[in-house]
Amino acid sequence: MGLRVLAVDDEADFIETLVKRFTYRRIPVTAAANGPEALARLDREDFDVVILDMRMPGMDGLTVLQEIKKRHPLVEVIILTGHASVEAGMQGMSLGAYDYVLKPVDFGELLEKANKAYERKKLNESRDHS
Amino acid sequence: MNPATILENHRPPLWPHTLLAPLLAGAAVLLALAAPPVVGFALALFAGAVCIGSALTLARRVRSGERQLRELDKRLLQSQKLAAIGELSSGIAHEINNPLAIITQEIDLARELFGPSGCPDPADLAEVRDSLDQIGKQVERCRLITHKLLNFARKMEPVLQEEALEHVIEDMAILAEREAKGRGVAIVRAYDQTLPTVRTDVPLLRQVILNLLTNALAATPQGGTITLATRRSDDQIIIEVRDTGCGIPPENMAKIFNPFFTTKEPGKGTGLGLSLSHGIVTRLGGTLTAQSTPGHGATFTVALPL
Amino acid sequence: MADSIRVLIVDDEERFRDTLAKLLSRHGFTVRTAGGGNEALALLTEAPCDVIVLDVKMPGLSGQQALPLLRAACPEAEVLILTGHASVDIASAMIAGGAADYLLKPCPTDELEGAIRAVYDRRQATRPR
Ligand SMILES: Nc1ncnc2c1ncn2[C@@H]1O[C@H](COP(=O)(O)OP(=O)(O)OP(=O)(O)O)[C@@H](O)[C@H]1O
Ligand SMILES: [Mg+2]
Repeated sequence: MGLRVLAVDDEADFIETLVKRFTYRRIPVTAAANGPEALARLDREDFDVVILDMRMPGMDGLTVLQEIKKRHPLVEVIILTGHASVEAGMQGMSLGAYDYVLKPVDFGELLEKANKAYERKKLNESRDHS
Repeated sequence: MNPATILENHRPPLWPHTLLAPLLAGAAVLLALAAPPVVGFALALFAGAVCIGSALTLARRVRSGERQLRELDKRLLQSQKLAAIGELSSGIAHEINNPLAIITQEIDLARELFGPSGCPDPADLAEVRDSLDQIGKQVERCRLITHKLLNFARKMEPVLQEEALEHVIEDMAILAEREAKGRGVAIVRAYDQTLPTVRTDVPLLRQVILNLLTNALAATPQGGTITLATRRSDDQIIIEVRDTGCGIPPENMAKIFNPFFTTKEPGKGTGLGLSLSHGIVTRLGGTLTAQSTPGHGATFTVALPL
Repeated sequence: MADSIRVLIVDDEERFRDTLAKLLSRHGFTVRTAGGGNEALALLTEAPCDVIVLDVKMPGLSGQQALPLLRAACPEAEVLILTGHASVDIASAMIAGGAADYLLKPCPTDELEGAIRAVYDRRQATRPR
């Protein structure tokens, strides 16, 4: 079973493009428009990597990240955001994000990061079982 | 219990076989030359037996010595741990008590402004609101501290991955660069393009780099430069964060890696960044060191094994 | 009301000293504030005071370093240590160094006020007229 992605962003256009590009590469991807929706998805389905925006109405990205890490500690989270704050970056990384990436990002690079995050999850899982 | 008494307990005596053995062996050799062979042979046998006996005793002594040393080590570690806990708790107490003190006062002030009638004078309403805002701010400050502390508590067993070093650090550089631009500080990259990949915990190392970049940003005034350099040195990979900021006075050099040591204004820094980073780099099998010429900036060096 | 007690608050936490100053002024004290040891020394050369409320952990001149200097600059003032630092060693060292009392933050305002009045009264009682 390969990489499964959950993309969380309130910007509909952005997320639509993202979904198209993953789908084009035959990588299963699901979109969520906000934090609570993403968390509900994660409870129902298995994902490997979450691509998460920082600034969303309702629940902000850091809170979503914290909830994800609490409920699904092995799921890797890549923060992909226009919110260029070192302070938020430090908080995100210390809450266990895999990377903090500023928009715009080249899709090829994002895919590479997602694959690396997936590799880490697999390594983590194999260690947990041994 | 005092260490000397543990060491003296239950040690097999050294004397007399260890002295007797070489004596007898010497005698056996001499006698073998002078006396009839049977006597020499018998003596040699006897000397051999005593030798074996003393060797066994020595081995037992060494073993028990090792055991006691281990015991001592454990105790020493325990007392070092206690000292570290003491230092940490007083740091935590200070960092949490200060915001709590502000909160206490704001509550006292707000209560007073509410007055005996339970309804504040309209002229004082803004002040009451300001007190409430301040309480919220201080709670946030406490929350940040406890969250950072929980980071210490997390097991964080490193997950080692092969990755190009540039891929690990570049996103952190981009993030710092955006913030630096707004303040007129330049970020210069000096990456060695020929580096082999590293085997490390990628997100943990990112955390370290971001911490160092943030500190450098805070120390560097407008017009300054922060250089992020990578290079190879023997069997190590080196990452350097250099800045042209205020530098670190020699008397602070020994303290900067201590938890809660900060020169930032209260509420601005918790003083946990460098101690967290130091802990991470150590767990990754590397070292984190600092050099500085006060007034001419500081250099933080992460050295990781290849 | 007797003469207003003159208090000097020395603390690097700006909001803390400002609100404390506000509260104490409302309760009839005459208050000045300083963000550190050196600023406090400068204020004392302008005018003396009765009670100095002194923090311990401050950048620059720490409370411990400032204590003898403040006492020299204003011998008639009593020093009340108020700090978030929970170290008994520092407390006893500072009391041995001439501080009148040692309180731990967070401290309810009425308790602090009580302590200020207590050290002030004690000084009035023992001071030769
Ligand atoms: N690049 C630097 N130049 C000058 N001083 C530095 C530099 N990096 C660290 N320091 C000194 O070391 C202290 C401790 O740094 P550390 O990162 O541990 O805490 P902090 O930055 O003060 O707070 P926090 O990281 O928790 O927000 C700083 O307050 C500062 O005095
Ligand atoms: Mg820092």
